[in-house]
Amino acid sequence: MATLTDTRKQQVRRELDSMLGRGGVLSDPDELLVYESDGLTLFRALADFVVFPTSTEQVAAIVKLANRENLPFVARGAGTGLSGGCLPSEGGIVISLMRMNRVLEVDYDNQIAVVEPGLVNLHLSWKVGPRGYYYAPDPSSQQACTIGGNIANNSGGPHTLKYGVTTNHVLGLEVVMPDGEIVWLGGKTRETPGYDVVGVFVGSEGTFGIATKIVVRILKKPQAVKTVLAVFNEVNRASAAVSAIIARGLVPAAVEMIDQLTMQAVEDAFGCGYPRDAAAALLIEIDGLAVGMETLADRIVEACRECGARDVRTARDETERQLLWKGRKSAFGAYGRISPAYMVMDGVIPRTKLPYVLGRVNEIVGAHGLRVGNVFHAGDGNLHPNILYDPRIEGEEARVVAAGAEIMKVCAEVGGSISGEHGIGLEKADFMPFIFSAADLELMTRLKAAFNPTNLCNPGKIFPTKKSCVEVGPVAYRPHAIEAKGLAQRF
Amino acid sequence: MEAALLDKVRSVVGADHVLTGVDLSPFVIEGRTPDAAVFPGSTEEARAVVALAAEHAVPIMPWGGGTAAAVGLPVAWSGLVLGLTRLNRIVEHEPGDLTVTVEAGLTLGALQAALHARGQWLSLDPPEPDRATLGGIIAVNAAGPRRHLYGTARDLLIGVTVVTGNGAVVRGGGKVVKNVAGYDLPKLFIGSYGTLGVITEMTLKLRPVPDHERFVAVSFERMKEAGGCVRAIMASDLIPAVIDLLDSEAMRALALRGPALVVGFDGLAEQVDWQCRELVRIASGFSGRDAGPLTPEVAARLGTAARDAFPQPASVMHFSVLPTHVADTIEQATSAARSRGLVSAWAAHAGVGVVTGALASTRTQATGPVVSALDDWRTIAHANSGFATLESAPLAVKAAVPVWDDMGAVARVMQRIKAQLDPTNILNPGRFVAGI
Repeated sequence: MATLTDTRKQQVRRELDSMLGRGGVLSDPDELLVYESDGLTLFRALADFVVFPTSTEQVAAIVKLANRENLPFVARGAGTGLSGGCLPSEGGIVISLMRMNRVLEVDYDNQIAVVEPGLVNLHLSWKVGPRGYYYAPDPSSQQACTIGGNIANNSGGPHTLKYGVTTNHVLGLEVVMPDGEIVWLGGKTRETPGYDVVGVFVGSEGTFGIATKIVVRILKKPQAVKTVLAVFNEVNRASAAVSAIIARGLVPAAVEMIDQLTMQAVEDAFGCGYPRDAAAALLIEIDGLAVGMETLADRIVEACRECGARDVRTARDETERQLLWKGRKSAFGAYGRISPAYMVMDGVIPRTKLPYVLGRVNEIVGAHGLRVGNVFHAGDGNLHPNILYDPRIEGEEARVVAAGAEIMKVCAEVGGSISGEHGIGLEKADFMPFIFSAADLELMTRLKAAFNPTNLCNPGKIFPTKKSCVEVGPVAYRPHAIEAKGLAQRF
Repeated sequence: MEAALLDKVRSVVGADHVLTGVDLSPFVIEGRTPDAAVFPGSTEEARAVVALAAEHAVPIMPWGGGTAAAVGLPVAWSGLVLGLTRLNRIVEHEPGDLTVTVEAGLTLGALQAALHARGQWLSLDPPEPDRATLGGIIAVNAAGPRRHLYGTARDLLIGVTVVTGNGAVVRGGGKVVKNVAGYDLPKLFIGSYGTLGVITEMTLKLRPVPDHERFVAVSFERMKEAGGCVRAIMASDLIPAVIDLLDSEAMRALALRGPALVVGFDGLAEQVDWQCRELVRIASGFSGRDAGPLTPEVAARLGTAARDAFPQPASVMHFSVLPTHVADTIEQATSAARSRGLVSAWAAHAGVGVVTGALASTRTQATGPVVSALDDWRTIAHANSGFATLESAPLAVKAAVPVWDDMGAVARVMQRIKAQLDPTNILNPGRFVAGI
């Protein structure tokens, strides 16, 4: 990969200017600073250029220019990612898709929408909401994150338990390939002949090309929704209730667990009605037909009570339901009241292993002299332990990093995965050998070569670096500049 | 084939597990006999056989129950059938996790029986469950009527073990229901027709068996009204598991009147009852009549109703179109066939736009009209923004009508994937799209 001389850089800048017009290119180091990291702020890297195309053709032209100049490039949405996936880790061009944010087409009869990658996730649900539809994948950052970024990360969210993750809702993609060619993968129909290239593109973390149009499914809003809060005096009992609900043949839309430390922080911050003295609570949501909703809710209440819930209550109305969800979705922000910093982990385990793994997480974090708050998608077994610490205390960050690596190893040992929704990016590249053999990784490398043979498209991500050893842990959380100023919040 | 290779293969799997000569008759496809059929007893044995084949540049044809073995183009030159039926164990079933890990040669029927005993099921219902193996179902992306609500293999497969063309054992995905570590390798093998790897083991998501299930058939005067009713059901609050649309020929195969919609509901008894009542109300707006429940036996034949309409269909074509174009596609294709003097039968998973059309064979057995009708059908599919695959036809017809659509620009991407995963091109060479 090339490094540009100052003269060449000026020439490229002029060429980009003529391609994208005024205001379409940044190359001043002060301006580039905004794009030096994503939601994981410890990794920082400056690009040579940040560009803002408004059409597929412009994206293709930029990519062709990058190829000609042998410059690495990376697509970027809202920058809410949590694994450093959209960093220009080896310089080059950041292609921001934030100006390609239109809903191009909505076909209600066929329940599909065609959107541009820079569209904010929630804005699609707003657009189709008045007609009774919504876009199902709901990452907690959905007020800010883009659908293009969701494609890269195969993003999930609380309601993926019943409705699946991003890949289950994507039918087709117009892609600018890493060599600049524009190709359609999949389409508007449920099946297209040939390999499921859409399925492998989704979740490829920006290493297979840049999606410029996206065909997604939209769903009818359910007729009825019911939200239940079950309160437990022991975490193990709450974990057991998750399995008990499943064992009763129920598949709720969401089953979220919130531990005591988190509930206390949430109550301090927002007062959402969570019990401060309980060890854990489950936030359970069922949706579907109005008929039978009471019966299903009763079954859930019964399962929770049998597992020793001390209190189980149903949200009386939409206001109370929204309040409970606000507490869940604002938990990360609430940690700010009880700790100067925290690191969010993302791991997945078989849900029957919850009691064991939560116990191990507490042991590991305790052994490092730290505190942990757990708020996570219990129904899918997708853990988010949040390790609280003070970066001003010498050595504390290093202990957080070490604890995080140990937690990932526990997830791997019980047959789980090192990421459920945040991705590998830069953060976890060196953890890949925890769950994949050399042969597995070699096949992934071959697949990457089929899409991205020159490796100019988002280099340095996903695959372990040869130089580092696996004991080098993930990095600790530091607030982004805009977050420190209170302009943005993490979820 | 060199005798030396066959000896090596025998030493890997045991002589009892290598069939040759007259024993190969179940594995004759389109008049072509493989050199041998080899049945490994483990993933490691499968790996060793593939490695030997790669070394000798001999094609490998992965084989489960053989239910879809004739789909696609015949393999370009003779090779080894790699039978997976000895790999038929349930490796791990943890009901609380709603996942199961199985070997690829297990039949769907055997798996469902074991799961049912514990109140769960794999929400896939392709035809011939007692012959079709899970590996084969994944490899050809087979599905059935319940895909309307429960999706297809891509929504259920979370982990896979494969032997790649260069003789490596590779695991993709995992055992957990949510996982974004690394590339989504399981997706790569779904519907790849054995051209990228031999699937030997997999992990699947399960669902609880619903309390109740009922399929209701409603007849319509014309296809157009049935299509309108599909649209109305989709826009309603109903949550059907099945919306199948069948023409009168296909309904006759089920001994019922058509054109008709078959709509399936599951859940609590009160939910099923309410939805059936709503269905009748909605259908009456389109002159739907004679609503009545289907027995489970009849419901199980829905997926093959079009091809079962004729004792020996001349050809079967599979379409994927937008759901709103299903009724039009069927009407246009029926009259196209009729104008060639041919009778056709149609069944569709209407809510997801997946349509199967079968052509009755003629007395003369002439291929000319069949070829013309199939060409018309493909044109109709494309005009309805869809795709067509010639699922079953004699070789003479396949020689005149492409099995697969022209893939356009994406062909290059698929060819590069194939070249990366099977560099010596031994896995079902020539069977799939774009010359793969």
